[in-house]
Amino acid sequence: MAEIRLNNLTKRWGDFVGVDDQSLHIQDEEFLVLLGPSGCGKTTTMRMIAGLEDPTAGEIWIGDRMVNDDLPKDRDVAMVFQNYGLYPHMTIFDNIAYPLKVRGTPKADIKPRVEKAAEQVELTEFLHRKPKALSGGQRQRVALARAIVRTPKVFLMDEPLSNLDAKLRVTMRAELKHLSRQLQITTVYVTHDQIEAMTLADRVAVMRHGVIQQLGTPDNIYNDPANMFVAGFIGSPAMNLINGSVQSGMFVTTGGTRLVGIGGQDRAKAVLGVRADDMEVHGAGQGDIDVSIYAFENTGESTLLTVQWGKQRVIARGDRHLRKEQGETVGIKLNPDHLYLFDPDNGDRIRLGDK
Amino acid sequence: MTEQSTPEIELSAAQSAEFWTGKRKQRFWRAIQAILILIAAFIMLIPIIWIFLAAFKSHVEVYQLRLFFTPTFENFGTVFEDPYDLGSKLFNSTIVAFVTVIIAIPIATMAAYSFSRFTLKFETTILVVILATQFVPAVVIILPFFIMFRDLGLLDTRIGLIMVNLAIVMPFAIWMIKGFIDGIPMDTEEAAMVDGSSRLQVIKNIVLPMAAPGLVTASIFCFILAWNEFLFALFLTNREATTLPIGLALFRGEEGDLWNLLSAAGIIIMLPMFVLALAIRKYFVQGMTMGAVR
Repeated sequence: MAEIRLNNLTKRWGDFVGVDDQSLHIQDEEFLVLLGPSGCGKTTTMRMIAGLEDPTAGEIWIGDRMVNDDLPKDRDVAMVFQNYGLYPHMTIFDNIAYPLKVRGTPKADIKPRVEKAAEQVELTEFLHRKPKALSGGQRQRVALARAIVRTPKVFLMDEPLSNLDAKLRVTMRAELKHLSRQLQITTVYVTHDQIEAMTLADRVAVMRHGVIQQLGTPDNIYNDPANMFVAGFIGSPAMNLINGSVQSGMFVTTGGTRLVGIGGQDRAKAVLGVRADDMEVHGAGQGDIDVSIYAFENTGESTLLTVQWGKQRVIARGDRHLRKEQGETVGIKLNPDHLYLFDPDNGDRIRLGDK
Repeated sequence: MTEQSTPEIELSAAQSAEFWTGKRKQRFWRAIQAILILIAAFIMLIPIIWIFLAAFKSHVEVYQLRLFFTPTFENFGTVFEDPYDLGSKLFNSTIVAFVTVIIAIPIATMAAYSFSRFTLKFETTILVVILATQFVPAVVIILPFFIMFRDLGLLDTRIGLIMVNLAIVMPFAIWMIKGFIDGIPMDTEEAAMVDGSSRLQVIKNIVLPMAAPGLVTASIFCFILAWNEFLFALFLTNREATTLPIGLALFRGEEGDLWNLLSAAGIIIMLPMFVLALAIRKYFVQGMTMGAVR
């Protein structure tokens, strides 16, 4: 049980900057997700916390101890790796028992603790097997059990679900969430999957090019993105970003269509962000703008309409009973309460007053 | 999971009419392949078969290419007797080969681990230089070795031979074992470190067991190299420390080549190889493939 403090943490390899002077305070018992595309520095940040990578500059504090010079084994963290990192020559029991054995836990203590951990991840019947004989999801559980068999100060999870198939990922995600609420141990979780981030996190740190773009609750990140990158990265489908300008309180697309009133001062260039869910699909002539359908997709629980909007394509989400044909014209109405404006030059959010 | 039946592959009329197509053709070529492999194997085995037969023949029978004869074990006795005294050479060979392996493998493992896992200064250069030592023809360095060993009093000693063999074997061992350690995922080692192991514990508990097939393969390889080493043993030993391959040369006497004795001694040299190969066949194949495909 401990908080983690990263003070001006930097990691450089030659000229390449992995993590650029970042500070982060992770609360005790918090579940923090580091989210970003590959190469954004999220895994590097985690590996520095684990002690597997030495920071170029900055401090790492776990609890009230600066751990920069501590070996991984002395940091009292447990880590789940993307490829599980199981020991193929040991049985599942020995795999889970390893952290206890190597730290000199009395033999009598080991067995009940391993069995308890195995029970928590529903592996009891596989304890005598070797990792080779398990499926991907079961191996993932072994890696989890090995992490929870001790009570470490911090859990570190490096894309633990990314090697699982889509269905299993959803199940394991729920199990992880359940387990983390139960254990209440400070957790840092790295992923590039925004749904994992949204569902698991207490707070999400969205990273890009070694810099944290936004730190906040999933709600906050989704509904109040700090910049164009966060807006485009979070949400599925991604937020639509429409180029245009602001003229006397109206957003005007590059094509010259006066689209929607947003207020604020005039701007020669602006990007309007709107989520697929905030675009209502109506009949032709009944929305803010008429557009033709480029593609119509039925995902089962909803429908997705990719529409041609001048030179751009935009995705709107429709009711699951909606049926349209390619080439048809529909009217799209934007929800004025959930519009975002960005500066196209630096990607910064332009706040729309009190709207 | 529901069971799915594989749909039967229907042959078109043209396909089924023509005999030499598809699976049939494939099967035919497979048979040809097998026959060719057998022939190739036989050709390669002829010398060994010949040696096996000759070893059980008498001096007179050797030059007759008869497959059926009354086998005699006399040759195996004679080679251990006085003028030849293969026993002491067998002893020397065994000591030299075993000690070489016992010293070489741990050192090579440590070196290989360092090369594999740490970023060292001039790493590539060092690795290439290690391998490059093997590009020097042995004949070139035999004289310096001879003079050095003479001055150090290492001529005709087993210790001297072991040192030479180590020099021969180490580069191969380092490269081979490095290949195997490269194949162990970094994740596994890092997991062990986070789980609470020191670097040495990681090596002992994780790396060594996982690299075991590779270590066995490398050991055998080194053993074979040391066991068969001829040139250095020929120049650097005389009486006391001569090894089996040198012993073979004794069977060229005034009465010509004593092929029956030569063959018997040859079998004695080959025997440990066969036994070793059989005993660790499983590891060997596993080791070979593991190193190859990671």
